[in-house]
Amino acid sequence: MKIPPFKEINPPNKNGYWVNKKNGQVYGGAYISPLLIPNLERVEKGFKKALKDKKFIKGLEEQLLNYIGVNTPILFSEELTDLAGGKNKIGKIFLKRTDLHHDSSHKPVNAFSSCYFAKHILKVKRIITETGASMNARAVAAACAKLGLECEVHIGAVDEEKVNLNRNITELYGAKIVVVHDSTKTLLPAMASALRSWQSSPDSMYVVGSVAGPHPYPQMVRTWASIIGRIAKKQFKQITGGVPSTLFAVCGGGSNLMSMAYPLLKERTKIFAVESGGDGIKTGRHGATILGGGKMGILLGMKSKVVMHSSQIAESITEASGLDFASCGPEVAYLHDIGRIKFLSSTDLEAKKTFLMCSKKLGILPAIEACYVIHSALKEIKKRKNPRENHLIHLCGSGESNVTRMLKFKRENE
Amino acid sequence: MNNDLKKIFDKAKLEKRSCLIGFVTGIDPDYKTSKKILIEMSKYCDAIEVGNPFNTSTSDSSIIMDANTRALNSGANTGKIFKLIKEVKSEIRKDIPFIIMGYLNPIYIYSIKKFAKSCKDSKVSGCIVVDSNNNAPEDKEIFTSLSKVNVSYIKLIAPTNGVSYIKKSLLRCSSFLYVVSIAGTTGSKQVNLKNVKKSIQLVRKVSKIPIGVGFGIKTKEDVSKVSKVADAVIVGSGIVDIIGKNTKNHNLTKKIGSYLKNLKKGLKK
Repeated sequence: MKIPPFKEINPPNKNGYWVNKKNGQVYGGAYISPLLIPNLERVEKGFKKALKDKKFIKGLEEQLLNYIGVNTPILFSEELTDLAGGKNKIGKIFLKRTDLHHDSSHKPVNAFSSCYFAKHILKVKRIITETGASMNARAVAAACAKLGLECEVHIGAVDEEKVNLNRNITELYGAKIVVVHDSTKTLLPAMASALRSWQSSPDSMYVVGSVAGPHPYPQMVRTWASIIGRIAKKQFKQITGGVPSTLFAVCGGGSNLMSMAYPLLKERTKIFAVESGGDGIKTGRHGATILGGGKMGILLGMKSKVVMHSSQIAESITEASGLDFASCGPEVAYLHDIGRIKFLSSTDLEAKKTFLMCSKKLGILPAIEACYVIHSALKEIKKRKNPRENHLIHLCGSGESNVTRMLKFKRENE
Repeated sequence: MNNDLKKIFDKAKLEKRSCLIGFVTGIDPDYKTSKKILIEMSKYCDAIEVGNPFNTSTSDSSIIMDANTRALNSGANTGKIFKLIKEVKSEIRKDIPFIIMGYLNPIYIYSIKKFAKSCKDSKVSGCIVVDSNNNAPEDKEIFTSLSKVNVSYIKLIAPTNGVSYIKKSLLRCSSFLYVVSIAGTTGSKQVNLKNVKKSIQLVRKVSKIPIGVGFGIKTKEDVSKVSKVADAVIVGSGIVDIIGKNTKNHNLTKKIGSYLKNLKKGLKK
């Protein structure tokens, strides 16, 4: 399969900022202590070099195709189309089956690409990352195992205590797990701990699991991840003859959204990002950044929209560990600000009901993260009532790690 | 340059010693105790750094992160930190300069202009922002706003930074340059004097600015080693560790006092 090549169509400026020219608002940058500056400079220089290195790109794409299985199908979902009102009323709904990837989510694409980059361009032997018990660390650990790299995963003690399939798989892949007992003992102190480890060992690389963090990470992660969308765009054209009328993808940090949205930014596709509304945005207990009152702030090396209490970063509350982040990537916030991406939200309850519906009616166990997007997409598509439209929903992962909680939910609600 | 900060370096030079700068997170473990601690520190330190707590700090050791958590649980915020400094300053010797150290987000949310004004109102002499990058628009705004009210912007550099980065930092740096003594984080590892010396040599080639060295300095021996090469020794996690282990102890301030008294013996050149 020939993969459409990457083209930079929305570059940040030289200091890593996306600038809304209408209101002057800047997003991105690199807000980090001087200790990390040399490490970031090395990554940035390497990234520029990698994009021009044809042998590197060819080798990476080959691995993504055959090890990760990035060429997943696009499925016309008759069931979802009927649920939304039928072909004659709403057009057709398609699912991009990213849940069929190796390690069952979109995360392995960036994880593997970053590790492959670390090995072949930066020539380092050790990878550092963090996790809040979601899919990223597991994907990084797998990539390290495949590439013969050492892997160090930082996890908060509270998250570590939860018996979690992803955490156990991470350990089986041979990663060293560093349990972090600082502060709240969750994702944010785990990130701080991973960054400290990187500060003290410049001979390693820090893998960021989302389109977030200091420049060049937001740009680099979406560049690696965009292979999913480049392939999807080509497939969609083969199936329908054109680009999607709408794209729906869930948004925590934004890597899964950008993986699909980036190649469509200059097309006529209407792009919808879906956030986790938790118990309902009005309750204040949610995982939504854009719709949940996020304001401009600076955290973890970037300037973006952030949910805060006073000047402190708020804890997000959501059923989906993959959406548990009080901010979103700077390019995502920028694209929202200029009106290119519209935001919707679903509550935890709506997502859980959608999980059961998909399991029973589609014969697919979607990741709970994908259920927020399916719920909001169906609602939006029904409203659009346009039989000429072809809709694309990103089914970004499989729900295997949600099984225990979902089965409990099913039994409690029968 | 802020005059109060200039004076401490001039005085120490005459006395053939380096300055002792003590750091604690403000309002740790609570407002009242923090006030007592700062007053005690003023008896031994040439200048005092007060940390403005942030719950998502990326360069702090667990000792400082725990202090941030204690302070935030006691209701700390940027406004209260200024109030604390103002109150302490009214009760101690006037010539002891105070420096605010912290992360950019609390300043950005408070508003940079308002922050500079509060520095002036609370008689803060200097400001350190750990995660402010020379290329960030906010960095320029902080420098300009602080300059207008005669508050020094003190820049951090690491042993891994090259000359071009150091030169760029010096353009906005006044009173002293803060050299991080380890390629790690606050209070996490041993002082690496070899790296410090290398960094100081790089700075000395391009500037005569006083140099303060911090991160990981805990014992009198550390102080003594660093004093030989730097103009100021900055001690933070050593003090904060005492606070963390003695939050309920009535002798907390006394313990800090005797710790600092001992460190002072190492300041001779």
